[in-house]
Amino acid sequence: MNGWIIFILLIVLMLTGMPISIALGLTVLTFLAFMTDLPAELVSQRLFTGLDQFAIMAIPFFILAGTFLTHGGVARRMIRFATALVGHFHGGLAMAGVFACALFAAVSGSSPATVVAIGTILIPAMEKQGYPRKFGVGAIGTAGALGILIPPSIVMVIYSVSTNTSVGKLFIAGVVPGILLAAILMGITWVIARRRDYPRMQRASLKEIWSAFWDAIWGLLLIVVVIGGIYGGVFTPTEAAAVSAVYAFVIAVFVYRDLKLSDVPKVLLASANMSAMLLYIITNAILFSFLLTSENIPQAMAQWIIDKHLSVWMFLLGVNILLLIAGNFMEPSSIVLLLAPILFPVAVKLGVDPIHFGIIMTINMEVGLIHPPVGLNLYVASGIAKMGLTETTVAFAPWIVIMVLYLLLVTYVPQIATWLPNLVYARPG
Amino acid sequence: MGTFNRVLDHLEEWLVASFMALATVVIFTSVLYRYTADIAWVWNYTRHINLTWAQELCIYLFIWMAKFGAAYGVRTGIHVGVDVLVRLLAPPKRRFWVTFDLLAGAFFTGVIAILGGMFVWRMVGTGQVSPDLELPMWVVYLAVPLGSSLMCYRFLQVAWRFRRTGELPAHSHAHVEGMQTETRA
Repeated sequence: MNGWIIFILLIVLMLTGMPISIALGLTVLTFLAFMTDLPAELVSQRLFTGLDQFAIMAIPFFILAGTFLTHGGVARRMIRFATALVGHFHGGLAMAGVFACALFAAVSGSSPATVVAIGTILIPAMEKQGYPRKFGVGAIGTAGALGILIPPSIVMVIYSVSTNTSVGKLFIAGVVPGILLAAILMGITWVIARRRDYPRMQRASLKEIWSAFWDAIWGLLLIVVVIGGIYGGVFTPTEAAAVSAVYAFVIAVFVYRDLKLSDVPKVLLASANMSAMLLYIITNAILFSFLLTSENIPQAMAQWIIDKHLSVWMFLLGVNILLLIAGNFMEPSSIVLLLAPILFPVAVKLGVDPIHFGIIMTINMEVGLIHPPVGLNLYVASGIAKMGLTETTVAFAPWIVIMVLYLLLVTYVPQIATWLPNLVYARPG
Repeated sequence: MGTFNRVLDHLEEWLVASFMALATVVIFTSVLYRYTADIAWVWNYTRHINLTWAQELCIYLFIWMAKFGAAYGVRTGIHVGVDVLVRLLAPPKRRFWVTFDLLAGAFFTGVIAILGGMFVWRMVGTGQVSPDLELPMWVVYLAVPLGSSLMCYRFLQVAWRFRRTGELPAHSHAHVEGMQTETRA
């Protein structure tokens, strides 16, 4: 009973268009005021203690690192390296774009940032080479979604915080699906390019590949620092994030010099703005899920679903549909914060691997990022290409279908996600 | 009033950016410290330094950053909601709901500011200190009432401006600070 009131209130408040964080907070306040004897002051304490976890702090650090990295230098060199490797195929520049997105995703935890970094340079360049603008926008915008699947990933950090799973394991679980998706996208690009006879570039000599590699080495090294550092046990994900922020700062300001020292305060402020928004939703979502738990709602829902004797594949199908619908209304971090605490206990009870479940959610969020009305990648790409939203949506449409098919593949072939982490961490679970 | 707002704006921005920078430096230093401990000559200089408080300080800095940054975010329009329905409405109704949303924000943050203030007031009496830095906990918790009050003020400010000029702050994710290429959507 109470559960229904909570959800209906939350949904009504959200539909008025108020910030999601405020809707969550007001729901909790209303409930505390009228429907329970939990003390209201608990709220203000929880607003503080909810954030009191070192793991959450990876989020502002990764955002800061990402903002430093987006300033051209690293992305441009990754594009040059990728072009040297695959530019001579049919649709070489487009394939290089997908490849560069994958590389950049390995240093950045955000999808829109990946689209900004790679798209700003490549979408105009592709048009100059004679690609239809629509094709460039769709390909790069979609490949940019790799940002949250290939580690590091802000969405994964949020999932791990709301479900108490290991960030390290999630990161490593994202590697295989990420590379596979990049390969699929490149393959599709190649097939389309061949059929429509998109331009090829001259094959790069070994010497050129080598020099492009050296030129990009600082960015590529960061992949080693972050991923290697976490798996080698050199540092925790949060420390890795802080180190990559400092590293990105040094590269942007002193090595590639694409950022003036006087611009650094602006970068700090912009990153703080983004981080504070996420942390504010996180605190209120923690408050909300605390309320749910104290009302035994996730447990009751888990029981309800188990009583229905739903099979795992039906449950996962339902989860995917629910998440895809949610993707029409909210951006990824809010969805994960709201739904992970509710769905996760059910999934675990039905025997779904927690890490696999996290990857399913992440890929779902990627789909949400590339379709309207709230897909950020879409907006970013349309901004870069100066293309209307309707036209951009048409450009993304075929790619959305591919992404949904890929989502189903990963949902029903869990080994894609669990094989590597189980191998690395030896004991599954 | 104009001067007051200008000072407040600057203070807010300055605080938020500094917390961000400081937290990064603290954690970077503590990692560096841990890995230079094996190098004998460095260790000679650093052995008397104790950095066990680094994580705690980082968390507190970020919580402060988050509370004040959230207020700054109201001013930059970064807190988004589900606006599909509101967008469909005719302008006068839309105006009503946008105002309603802003006032709801002001109401929530106002309540939290008061609850937080009461909580801090109670903490003063307990003399509790944080585990590593041994800061009085009430000082640390002060972030909640202070940040929330500021946020409440920002919501009212944005609502006031919206009623007068019809303008709302909007955040563009395609725009990256300091980037040379023009990418604004």
